[in-house]
Amino acid sequence: MVTTKKRDTWGSRLGIIMAVAGSAVGLGNFLRFPAKAASNGGGAFMIPYFVSLFLLGIPLMWIEWTLGRYGGGFEHGTAPGIFHSIWQKNRFIKYFGVIGIFGPLVIFIYYTYIEAWTLAYSYFALLGKYAGISNQGGMQSFLRGFQGLEHNQYFQGIGTAYIFFLITFIANIWVIYYGIKGGIEKLCKWAMPLLFVFGVVLMVRVITLGTPDITKPDWNVFNGFGFLWNPDFSALKSAKVWLEAAGQIFFTLSVGIGVILTYASYLSKGDDVVLSGLTAASTNEVAEVILGASIVIPAAFVFFGPVDIQSIARSGVFNLGFVTMPLVLNKLPLAAIFGFAWFFLLFLAGITSSISLAQPAVAFLEDEFDINRKKAVSIFGIVSFLLCQPAIFFLSRGVVDELDFWGGTFFLVLFATIETILFAWIFGMEKAWDEIHKGADMRVPKIYKFVIKYITPLFLLSILVSYFWQKESRALIFMKDISPVNQNFILSTRLGLLLMFLILAILVKVAWRKKRMQAGRIK
Amino acid sequence: MKIGGWVFLMVSWGIILSLTTFCFIKVFSKKELK
Repeated sequence: MVTTKKRDTWGSRLGIIMAVAGSAVGLGNFLRFPAKAASNGGGAFMIPYFVSLFLLGIPLMWIEWTLGRYGGGFEHGTAPGIFHSIWQKNRFIKYFGVIGIFGPLVIFIYYTYIEAWTLAYSYFALLGKYAGISNQGGMQSFLRGFQGLEHNQYFQGIGTAYIFFLITFIANIWVIYYGIKGGIEKLCKWAMPLLFVFGVVLMVRVITLGTPDITKPDWNVFNGFGFLWNPDFSALKSAKVWLEAAGQIFFTLSVGIGVILTYASYLSKGDDVVLSGLTAASTNEVAEVILGASIVIPAAFVFFGPVDIQSIARSGVFNLGFVTMPLVLNKLPLAAIFGFAWFFLLFLAGITSSISLAQPAVAFLEDEFDINRKKAVSIFGIVSFLLCQPAIFFLSRGVVDELDFWGGTFFLVLFATIETILFAWIFGMEKAWDEIHKGADMRVPKIYKFVIKYITPLFLLSILVSYFWQKESRALIFMKDISPVNQNFILSTRLGLLLMFLILAILVKVAWRKKRMQAGRIK
Repeated sequence: MKIGGWVFLMVSWGIILSLTTFCFIKVFSKKELK
């Protein structure tokens, strides 16, 4: 007798909206967006940003929610099975779906470590461990010591960072161990509102900074907002700015990774995806455009002034979050409390994202190998723990940047292109339109029929092509700016990634052969 | 901050807050999961 295992489900509608929004709201909302906006035309950046949101981000949200729910109806929670359900005649399409497990796994193995830094810094903030540091050099030295990149008066090795990594990793595994309703939903339902509370508190604190130094009247909070929002329309002539905006929408909404497919696969056939998808996307936008843009850049402007802010905005996400922001918060009364609020906000944004990155691999084992959740989580825990180690110990060798380019950038766009073509052209737009509207609580405007079929795929293809066109991407692919010493580490990382991909493809082949054999036995 | 900055800030916040409010009002007034 063949028994069908009952798949996990969401407990409430708000639960899945908070979980998808939690997956989307990450460190990038608070660090990447304001820096990108400030460096790419200020307020004018919002024109390509909104164009990308409405032509790329929201359509992709609807596509992924719909594909996920559709695949869930066939008991598939990951892209190989979902793609196969869409195009059953094609034997190879399931292998393209491997990207939907590979991508999140690759991001998970470095993201968890960065998430651990935020937890560590929130602890350091409460303890006042960096309270005495008052300049960029000192704070950079503190960060490098913490990362184990140098021995200094603050840290004597990577030990502290590793302990926080272990705590963070165990917390992630613990949440996914308790499943969709008992773990992920429960966490997101309290973590997301708490994240917004911390965000609003910090935003209000920044807005009320005024002009802290009366000898420098220009260094005020309104000019800080002006640095981010004053439009520079000449930036719109640059293709790079449009590309940056499209890229930001991609990363911020967590589309093209595979996690939304998995989350939506736990919905029932008659559950709405249109309104829920739009609500998750708009919640993410509040965190990004309203909270994210109102904290780090305006605050840094007030304390570092109009000249230094230029280089600060271009100094990268880690520098903004872990060097500039603690220095800014150190200058405020109740620095420990605000420092804790800032880093714990980042930790909550991180953990609600990392658990979603873990879920596709776990769902793949559960759905395609009929392994129970606890066993699937244990396998995932052991394998991903081992895979995290190179990101931790070879951080200075460029391993994280390499993982981020392939797992967190290139494959995202490739995967989104594949799923959009599959949805609009293979599944067929008429059928897709009906599928989107099953159980829908609102109609998608008709124009989106055209957008999803033509505009979104063309937009994606142009981003994909431009990745190879861009000097930065070419330099990364051909290792142009990488020192000869680090080149071996980069090549080893690439080899490791290739091996990971092949192993996942073999697992897909094995799972399908097993299913075919089982089906043959039943006949 | 220049007038243009204020305009972009207000319009961006306006679009996002209106969309979010509209979505949550609808979510709370509609049915739960099946």
